[in-house]
Amino acid sequence: MVDQLPNLGRELEMLNEMGYESMEDLFADIPNDVRFQDDLPLRGPQSEEEIIADARRLLGANTDLGSRPSFLGAGLYRNYVPAAVFQLVTRGEFLTAYTPYQPEVSQGMLQAMWEFQTLISELLGLPIANLSLYDGSTAAAEALTCAVRVHTRKASQPSTVYVSELTPPDKMSVMHNYCQGADITIKTLKHRKDGTLDMDLVSEAAGSCGVYVEQPNPLGIMDEGLVQLKDILGKNTALIVGIQPVSLGVLEAPGHYGADIVVGEGQPLGSPITAGGPLYGIFACSKAYLRLMPGRIAGRSIDVDGNEAYCLTLSTREQHIRRHRATSNICTNETLIALMGAMHMALLGPEGLNELAHRNMMACQLLKERLSEVDGVDIVHDSPHFNEFAIRVPGKASECLAFLDDHGVTGGFDLARWYPTITDQILVTATDQTRLPDIETLAGQLAVWSTHAEVSA
Amino acid sequence: MSHLFGHSGAEGTGYSQPPALKPATAPSIPKGLVRQDAARWPRLSEPEMVRHYTWLSKRNFGIDTGFYPLGSCTMKHNPRVNEVIAQLPGIADIHPHQPEHQLQGLLSIYYEMQHMLGIVAGMDNVTLQPVAGAQGEFTAIRCIQEYFRLRGEDQRTKVIVPDSAHGTNPASAAMAGFEIVEIPSLVDGRMDLSALAAVADETTAAMMITNPNTLGLFEADISEASRIVHEAGGQMYYDGANFNAILGITSPGLMGFDAVHFNLHKTFSQPHGGGGPGSGPIGVKAHLAPFLPGPVADRSVATAEEVGSCVDGYRYHWHEPEHSIGKVQQWHGNAGAVIRCWAYYRRYGRGLKQMSEHAVLNANYLRHAIHREAKRAGVDHLFADGAETDVAKHEFTLSMQPAKEALGVSAMDVAKGLLDRGYMAPTVYFPLVVPECMMVEPTETESKDTLDTFAEHFAQVLNTDPKELHEAPITTPVRRVDEVYAARNLCLKHPFDDV
Repeated sequence: MVDQLPNLGRELEMLNEMGYESMEDLFADIPNDVRFQDDLPLRGPQSEEEIIADARRLLGANTDLGSRPSFLGAGLYRNYVPAAVFQLVTRGEFLTAYTPYQPEVSQGMLQAMWEFQTLISELLGLPIANLSLYDGSTAAAEALTCAVRVHTRKASQPSTVYVSELTPPDKMSVMHNYCQGADITIKTLKHRKDGTLDMDLVSEAAGSCGVYVEQPNPLGIMDEGLVQLKDILGKNTALIVGIQPVSLGVLEAPGHYGADIVVGEGQPLGSPITAGGPLYGIFACSKAYLRLMPGRIAGRSIDVDGNEAYCLTLSTREQHIRRHRATSNICTNETLIALMGAMHMALLGPEGLNELAHRNMMACQLLKERLSEVDGVDIVHDSPHFNEFAIRVPGKASECLAFLDDHGVTGGFDLARWYPTITDQILVTATDQTRLPDIETLAGQLAVWSTHAEVSA
Repeated sequence: MSHLFGHSGAEGTGYSQPPALKPATAPSIPKGLVRQDAARWPRLSEPEMVRHYTWLSKRNFGIDTGFYPLGSCTMKHNPRVNEVIAQLPGIADIHPHQPEHQLQGLLSIYYEMQHMLGIVAGMDNVTLQPVAGAQGEFTAIRCIQEYFRLRGEDQRTKVIVPDSAHGTNPASAAMAGFEIVEIPSLVDGRMDLSALAAVADETTAAMMITNPNTLGLFEADISEASRIVHEAGGQMYYDGANFNAILGITSPGLMGFDAVHFNLHKTFSQPHGGGGPGSGPIGVKAHLAPFLPGPVADRSVATAEEVGSCVDGYRYHWHEPEHSIGKVQQWHGNAGAVIRCWAYYRRYGRGLKQMSEHAVLNANYLRHAIHREAKRAGVDHLFADGAETDVAKHEFTLSMQPAKEALGVSAMDVAKGLLDRGYMAPTVYFPLVVPECMMVEPTETESKDTLDTFAEHFAQVLNTDPKELHEAPITTPVRRVDEVYAARNLCLKHPFDDV
């Protein structure tokens, strides 16, 4: 039945040659008292055609974002991945390779990852990048533990880090899981009413091991204050900035305003949202963090003939060498998705990235202008936004979103899921994939709901 | 050579974008945040970009290129139907924050996978959230940690691992804050029960072990190990890296384990992608279930009203376990990997056992064939089995120590000689307990002919003039790469011509 087994039907021939009679002989070392006594209580096998048909039926029961106007972002952003990326990344030489432990036959992926490191380094304005962590949240969490490893000895607040209070709870939860083992205390930094970081309170964090903020922040705000942050914190506190990589086509690279570590969800460059995974976590840093950073790094070297050659390097930080003293437990990472990112960046070039960033920003701007005209709807923060912004609706955000959903629109993200006391705000997101008619539809339906909500209130 | 950063010819970009929804109006970016210098990215047209990455791919070895007997990594064929399914919009273009009723298909597949993994592992509950094996280890150890905290057993600060364990085991437990107690293996590579009994006590939180172990041997005393650890009040953790050897034959549950991680990218054929992505779900016994990261997929029979909008008569929903440790990844795990592995599971169904049988058949046959061909070629004195055993499981180890002593030929030399003959080399120098170790895992998707030919080539390599072998490889895109030079002359990105 199964077509994946080339030796089906040849078992006895192989067994006999080894001097065995049956397959059972090969499992004689497994004691009977730990054996399954029956067949697995699972369904029967399916043919390839049946699997595809079932996949289409089941996945067809999902509402894909492209099938209707959608304004859901909140950390993941609809994008267009150029056709060449998919065509190339499914080449078997990339797809079916393992971690490049034998560099002589892994030059392709090693060079591609070294190029990826360069692309990321240039994008973020920092000299060093690894070849990916799992996602933006684990990259942020590992940045915190890395900052503590580097700074705790000189810190006046040892084993302490500060994180923006706006950080989504799911991301914060990952940070807590990664930090608790090292007894790291996570404190929060307050934001002002306009959504920007409260710079008057930032000095509290000076002398800690690290500070994590996002640019644009989780409410989509481009926060100009962050450029002063490093001066306030000083050189013994790591400034860690979480970014949306496409925004850096127009926004200053955080490395250029003093960030020591920059992390982010790589997804908007090269990867579909894919229900939240696999994605790739960006991690870049300055030289001071190099030997205590997590993740794999590709280096350029030479072979015995002196020719250019690539290999993994600085492995003595890693678990397979350092075991329980490793800087991280990461082994499998997201190389293939990072490769998609590299391919997308290679196609964009600097001008293409700038254009893509503008499309995202202008779509957001247009959405903001249009929604600000809807009676009853307010733009919560009078600040410049990238991709997304919060709106206040006259009533419960959850009810508004349910109404929009009933009318064929995925309206955005209910901010009560992040900030439980805020029940009347929706984070609405526009990307390069947002179309004008979608915006009109959302504005129209919001107007209908707002009128209705105000009447019934 | 093709260099990405050697391209700066094409004006504009390698693909055309539609115009922005409205013309750029400058002032929307705060002045201090306007990017001053663009990233020094290359400029490639599409044909140049396609040719560059195609050239790179030709300098890379994958399972599709040739036999890949890399021990412990399970480099089996990746069925292509899985890739087709993973590109469907119902998985590629969905968002984890969509309301449940928009994700019924995803939820149903998650539920099916949780259910299947629970059965094959003998565990009560499963979460698909961890995105790699090492993250699965970390997640399960965190669940065990919180379990003991809730019980007031804070003194359980130690995790026991055998010295032959994968490096991720001690690294993951240390990351969670545990002290690592390493116990030596017996000379035959198996676990030392008396060493375990000597260290297991009221400070033990867990033992982490894989079975078959990293030498490819089934630890027949595993139930006794579980008894010792449980008697000391600790938990048993099963590293699923080698689960592909025993699926449908035995299970971690039957062996007395409390928690397990799966490497879906090993056992269930998610492509390794040059180092990832993977997927590392964990399964636990009921007493650890309240601590799992949420959300996990659950279901109830659909009401009459719901039937129209649900899958196969069920209403699926996300469930948050009561004492959840929280999240280890921001979203719902590597859904794209889970979907591929779902397709793989569907191909076998209850016949998954056949996969394990053939993995073990091929490993034993290859071990036999290597000895046979080496004897024929008169080189059988140049290596020894890494462990004395009648049968191996899905992989086996060889020690090149005799070749090293007789001819100065190392495991690495043999590995490079195999590269010249068109193979990926086996894993070398792991596990550390075998001197000059080569760890060979053929997987079930290789034919008898491939295994026979590989065995012949293996003997040929051992018959090669050692001087020649020290020079290997000579047919690969580059020759032996100087890793020391790489570490001493760090060049981690394109240097540009900075003035």
